[in-house]
Amino acid sequence: MRPPIEFLFPPELASDMIYSFVIIVCSLMIYIATKEIYELSSYKGLKYFRQAFLFFAIAYFFRYFIMFVLTFFNLNLWISPGVVFSLSMLVFLYSSSMAVFSLIYSVMWKKWNHSKFKNYIFNILAIAIAVIGITFRGIGVSLLLNVIFLASVSFVLFIAYRDLKGKKTGKNLLGIYSLLFIFFFLNVIDVLIPKFLQPFNLIISLISILLFMTILYRVLKKIGN
Amino acid sequence: MSKRGKLEIMKDILKVVQESRNSIKPTPLLRKSGLSSTSFKEYYLALLDKGFVKEVLDNNEDKMVILTEKGFRFLEKYKTMISFIEEFDL
Repeated sequence: MRPPIEFLFPPELASDMIYSFVIIVCSLMIYIATKEIYELSSYKGLKYFRQAFLFFAIAYFFRYFIMFVLTFFNLNLWISPGVVFSLSMLVFLYSSSMAVFSLIYSVMWKKWNHSKFKNYIFNILAIAIAVIGITFRGIGVSLLLNVIFLASVSFVLFIAYRDLKGKKTGKNLLGIYSLLFIFFFLNVIDVLIPKFLQPFNLIISLISILLFMTILYRVLKKIGN
Repeated sequence: MSKRGKLEIMKDILKVVQESRNSIKPTPLLRKSGLSSTSFKEYYLALLDKGFVKEVLDNNEDKMVILTEKGFRFLEKYKTMISFIEEFDL
């Protein structure tokens, strides 16, 4: 007989899965809600905006949900759970990096449109971040990697903010994006260095959910459905 | 020209077709669009390609341009698209 779910999942893992589930639903709702206006307009900024939230959904799926699915449905795979965990972490790190790159590019594409190789560059960087993150799981390397990544993202956001010149909406939005990136990096650090941020886990999860819900609310308000 | 400009031009061409009781010959459409013939050709082919307009023959066997359902939908959603792009600074 299958053991009760509380034996399969300790409460903290269950709360992480609920958290991931909420983020996945919010991200997919943003992706689906913007489908029609993207299909009608073929607008490049919209393409990358949607792509960012698709990558967020994939990242959070591979963060916890995949383990839930494998364990709950008692799937016997030909590869060991350790390998499944490493592969899912690899996809998580790649997707999360791509999500950050896509969201930044959705705002900056007009300025960076001259380079034909951005997509390759983003993919290569995301793969490099994922491989380094998985290969060197020590606290030092993981922290350094994320600090460099966050510093680069902050620099780009600063340039975008400076270029807005009194546009209230954009500045407000960049503030939300900045917070989203900070809390997303905290999530990545939490995955790479378990227990490092454990005392703050709940507050990080709640603020992350709040940020995704704010963006979803603004999307649905604009789309009108 | 920015993509925003492209969306606006597409909307303007579709609007001309709609306001001509959804049936207009290509030449008056070119004139009313206010574009050079080269630019018009580029946008017109894009609109045909995206399925926003189609060409039909009228009773006199003249080629007429009409909006498709997708074309009407584009016009309906145009304001939403622009306000979304502005809201998210895309």
